[in-house]
Amino acid sequence: MNKFYTITRYSFRRSVWAIIGWGIPLMLLGIITIPFYDLVAENEKQLRPVLENLKPLVKSFVGGDEVEEIFTPQGFIALRYFAFLPVILGIYGSVSGSGLLAADEERGILDFVLAHPVSRGQLFWGRVVAFTVSLSCIIGFGWLGLWIGVAKAESMNFSPFQLVLPYLSVFVVTWFFACFSLALSMCVPSRSSAAMISGIVVLAGYIITTLSKAIKGLESWAIFSPLTYYQSNAMKGLEIDPFIKLFLAALLFLFLARTGFRLRDIRVAGDGGWKLPFIKG
Amino acid sequence: MNENESDFAIYVNNLSKSYGSFLALKEIDLTVNRGEVFGFLGPNGAGKTTAIRCLLDLIRPDAGTVCVLGKNPQSDPVAVREHCGYLPGELRFDENISVHSVLEFLRDLRGGGKDCHVRAQELAERLDLNVRSKIKNLSKGNKQKVGIIAAFMHCPDLLLLDEPTSGLDPLIQQTVLEMVKESRHSGATVFFSSHVLAEVQAVADRVAIIREGQIVEVGETSSLLSGRAWRMKVIFAENTVVRIDEIEALPGILLDALSLDGRELKLIVDGEMDELVKALAEYRVESIETRRPDLEEVFLSYYGEVCEKDELKTKGNE
Repeated sequence: MNKFYTITRYSFRRSVWAIIGWGIPLMLLGIITIPFYDLVAENEKQLRPVLENLKPLVKSFVGGDEVEEIFTPQGFIALRYFAFLPVILGIYGSVSGSGLLAADEERGILDFVLAHPVSRGQLFWGRVVAFTVSLSCIIGFGWLGLWIGVAKAESMNFSPFQLVLPYLSVFVVTWFFACFSLALSMCVPSRSSAAMISGIVVLAGYIITTLSKAIKGLESWAIFSPLTYYQSNAMKGLEIDPFIKLFLAALLFLFLARTGFRLRDIRVAGDGGWKLPFIKG
Repeated sequence: MNENESDFAIYVNNLSKSYGSFLALKEIDLTVNRGEVFGFLGPNGAGKTTAIRCLLDLIRPDAGTVCVLGKNPQSDPVAVREHCGYLPGELRFDENISVHSVLEFLRDLRGGGKDCHVRAQELAERLDLNVRSKIKNLSKGNKQKVGIIAAFMHCPDLLLLDEPTSGLDPLIQQTVLEMVKESRHSGATVFFSSHVLAEVQAVADRVAIIREGQIVEVGETSSLLSGRAWRMKVIFAENTVVRIDEIEALPGILLDALSLDGRELKLIVDGEMDELVKALAEYRVESIETRRPDLEEVFLSYYGEVCEKDELKTKGNE
């Protein structure tokens, strides 16, 4: 238990700058964006006809059929704030998850750490817990910024708890991408390949989920997109079903990552990489 | 695990490990006695590091049995590492933290108490390392010192040192070799690989030579050296005409080198010295120097064949 705590504490300490680097901008985003709602509400008469006349494909990119909800406080927060967060934090999750073990492995640090009396399981779970705590801190900064923004906006009145609900969905999406890229990093030859694949899934998922509102053929594909299970407007109340589905999918990838880490060799520094057939050297 | 296996500090039987199609270790057998210093020699890519990493369960062998201090590293890696100190060949740390923090972290991983802390401080003083420095500000040699302290600070029963003196200045190299000797005196086993054969010769009780993933020689350092042919250098007096072909024709005599003026002769004597001495008695000899080969020459004799093959291959490609 002590070794697990040591790993967690040490890993968390290493992520302090990541927490500051991601958390503060996220907080500022809330503080700056949310008070704009007052301005949008004032200009509803001019803006509504513009939104109503948008073509379906364009409309799908600015919120689909729900775009007119931008004139409600809840809709504004969902469309102007929470709609983009899973992409931003999904990239963070992909980069962090892929680097959770593979970054140190490629730098040759893991080799040395694992030569000490610590099991692979303790190292794995220690790092996962440290990442989860770091992500919670970043989300906490974001929530604080949103709360300050809401307090500054004259026509908004939400309780802190209501603001937490969509963040729970942001959390589970980010955690999913972290677990997904962690699992990838255990089977693809390098950390950067894992981050790249996961990043592509984030962006492709966002595009498919968004366009599926306008293009019928994409609906069947959208069920595979993690972002389909994301709830940007959860302030009304968080739906448990999609939340649990995403959480279970994340757990599945976490289990695969754990199994991969248990069974495989620890690579030495600088290992890995795919050879592209058309690029020599 | 049978009793024989646990008698040894390290017991390796039929160990094989491959990386894709490359066979890094080919059915190696190795035993290291408890309380001895064991040198593991081989050039880059021979399989030294792969073997050490198998001992700590950092990589899993394809076949074979490994037993370290009576325990199987695959089934009980933590128990094995508990009693081992490891210095990797390529040592890396987090760059942005201090030496003190690194050692504190590693000590906590070991569950090391105050003794461990005190010993780490003593070792840092002995190796002349400032623990307040940040890792990123350290030279390669100073980073190596951090690794050495981490390997020694808990007084392990088994030290696995992969090129321990790499990057260190000669004075500190001596200190590290003294530390190795002290560990042996206190009952620890030391298994260390090195390119610097003189230092292996200075401290190792036994030596194994690994070539292309196979152990080609294992033996006590002294017998490995004494069992080898003598090296002889003969300097003849000026204007002495030496019949080289007669000397070369003597049994067990091999001509190693001959100076341009024919005065200096280098021979390898792998047999009776008597006939050679009698043959030399016919000439005016200025000096004779005989010595046993050092470990470097023993080592190179195993690699000479490979180097010749490589040279031929290179020439063939050209």
